[in-house]
Amino acid sequence: MNAKKLLNVDRRVIYLLVAIGALIPIIRPIGLPTVPTEPVWKLFNKIEELGPDDAVIISFDYGPSSEPELNPMAQAILRHCFARRVKVLVMALFPLGGVNMAIDQLDGIADEFEGLEYGVDYVNLGYKDGAQAAMKRMDISIQALFPTDVNGDPVDDMPVMTGARNYDDISVVISLATGIIGEYWVNLVNAQFGVPVAVGCTAVSAPKYYAYLRAGQMMSMLGGLKGGSEYEKLLVDKYDFARELYEEPDVKARSAMAGMDVQSIVHMIIIFFIIFGNAMYFLMKKQEKEEKER
Amino acid sequence: MRRTIPLALTFIVGLYPILAFFVPDVRIAHANDWLDEALVIVAAFALPLGTVNVIMTNTSKLKKKARGWQYSIVLLAGLAIMAIYGLIGGTGVDPKFQWMFVNMVSPLQSTMFALLSFYVASAAYRAFRARNVEATILLIAAIIVMMGRIPFGDMITGGRMTPLSEWIMSIPNAAAQRGIIIGAALGAASMSIRIILGIETTYLGSGKD
Amino acid sequence: MVSFGVWLNAFLTLCILSFLYKDNPFFRFAESLFAGMSLGYYIGLANQQTLMPNLFRPLFGDFAGNFVLIIPMALGILLYFRYIPKVAWMARIALAVYIGYYIGVMFLQKLHGEVLPQSSDTILQLRGIGGLEILWNVIFIAGVFSVLLYFYFSAEHKGVLGKVSRIGVWFLMISFGASFGYTIMARISLLMGRFSFLVNDWIRPLIGAS
Repeated sequence: MNAKKLLNVDRRVIYLLVAIGALIPIIRPIGLPTVPTEPVWKLFNKIEELGPDDAVIISFDYGPSSEPELNPMAQAILRHCFARRVKVLVMALFPLGGVNMAIDQLDGIADEFEGLEYGVDYVNLGYKDGAQAAMKRMDISIQALFPTDVNGDPVDDMPVMTGARNYDDISVVISLATGIIGEYWVNLVNAQFGVPVAVGCTAVSAPKYYAYLRAGQMMSMLGGLKGGSEYEKLLVDKYDFARELYEEPDVKARSAMAGMDVQSIVHMIIIFFIIFGNAMYFLMKKQEKEEKER
Repeated sequence: MRRTIPLALTFIVGLYPILAFFVPDVRIAHANDWLDEALVIVAAFALPLGTVNVIMTNTSKLKKKARGWQYSIVLLAGLAIMAIYGLIGGTGVDPKFQWMFVNMVSPLQSTMFALLSFYVASAAYRAFRARNVEATILLIAAIIVMMGRIPFGDMITGGRMTPLSEWIMSIPNAAAQRGIIIGAALGAASMSIRIILGIETTYLGSGKD
Repeated sequence: MVSFGVWLNAFLTLCILSFLYKDNPFFRFAESLFAGMSLGYYIGLANQQTLMPNLFRPLFGDFAGNFVLIIPMALGILLYFRYIPKVAWMARIALAVYIGYYIGVMFLQKLHGEVLPQSSDTILQLRGIGGLEILWNVIFIAGVFSVLLYFYFSAEHKGVLGKVSRIGVWFLMISFGASFGYTIMARISLLMGRFSFLVNDWIRPLIGAS
């Protein structure tokens, strides 16, 4: 076995193997099990405590680059809030795509629930520039920062805003974040105004956020697609409507639980690459040493 | 004067949010609230600031017919179309603006980032080597965490992989990240003080005028 | 029936993916289009979502009550003076306010929002709890301190400092390994998203499969 040749294989062969590994579970789903972990349980239990008199902020602080990871958890959390009739204030503080992600997700999910009314049970406040400036402003008045909703309609007369004037009326802020905005909710809003903050983040950010989670600055964290799949699992186990919904082919194909099949296969391929690559590396070193001795 | 006034402004405006946090006075709080409102608007003007530079660069490329000038036409056309629909829509998201985002901007950005998965796989095979103790520790931690994130890990190890992976994330990983967070935060705070006090002035430019 | 939007989506996706084989005009076209549309998007977004509802509507709707909004508007416009050589220095005024504000806010975020809570949470209990928990707390505290000492570059890393820094490096390696593992998950998710779109939203409806 020529280790050097194997190590220098055309990178497009590697790309092809990864592509095949990703495509197979999409074409033929496997249905691997998911086990929820404690950081995810915390948000689920928090929303379980809430009801029609409570309001939450769900901030879409991500864009297309994080869509596959964060859309499933956004949908699961929205479904959970709507099932419990919690008042939902949707907003976006991330410039590239946050508001469009919110528009894309919100109305479709709300339509799944009978009796939900825009402006009464939920509202999409749209995007606002300024990040920290916007967050600080909401301590005084959410309406002053968002005088209109995402469509340009005034929010003054919307009943949903009556019980959500500022942070004092918000039970929890859930930031679905692709980077620093999630940290701002924690180190500014939670630190200065004491609002509980839960963050649904990309897997890239999750390792860092364990430090915030441990310190209690984040009350919960959903890390990447796995976090989303765990939340879906909790929802499906608790609510019959969720169990039926996530069995529908269209919903199932786009769920985080289905996505974990792809994750599992490609992870195994990459772990194989790491182990095989190292084995070939050490074999190559041995072969070179033997050649030198000859 | 052309540098003194901006430095004075940085000092006053930089100190104000800190003052407002510590001094419980209604007038200071009102002024701080106005500052927050004002900066939301200034930030909105700042967001597309780099666009002017890009337009100037690509227009120059077009005029000179420099290499790749055809792609400058594509860039400027894309910019113009999105900007026009964003401006004529008034308040609220224009449906065509949303359509172009969903069917053009979103797939372009998603796929750009999706390419990274291939590069990561290639790097894992070609570059990720256990050359020394530190690299070996990194490799082992990576494999344990990866196995803990997928159901196969628990299936192979009888349910041990997820708790082990969670332990790694909550204890050694969180400890290291905390050290990094504290260190970086202290560095950022000291840089803030330097800027507020006018010791650090690189943000004002070369100062040749 | 596959809509035009889905066809466009699929075409642009394949243009970008073609780069995996090699650089080509389709990729360059898609890349330029993305760059341009993103910038145009920022212009549209800032106008629709912030400037219209928070500045223009209140200012021109009720000028007497909102005339102070002229100040942030003027500052915002001043930012663009940097592109006019004769008056470029005036942009510094706006920049000073912008940078000054965010620097002041960040100072508080970093100290009050990160250093203090993170440090206080590191003061962990070492008595009166279960044996394993004490061990984990000791490991955690050792990790935080050794990493902090590793980043102390004012003294040479030798002797006791050198040994403690080395332990810090090991903790950092575990963290970077964990980050690598999580990063792989993130990247694969993006790939899964694109492939899922191509298979479920484009190819399956096209061939009439469910």
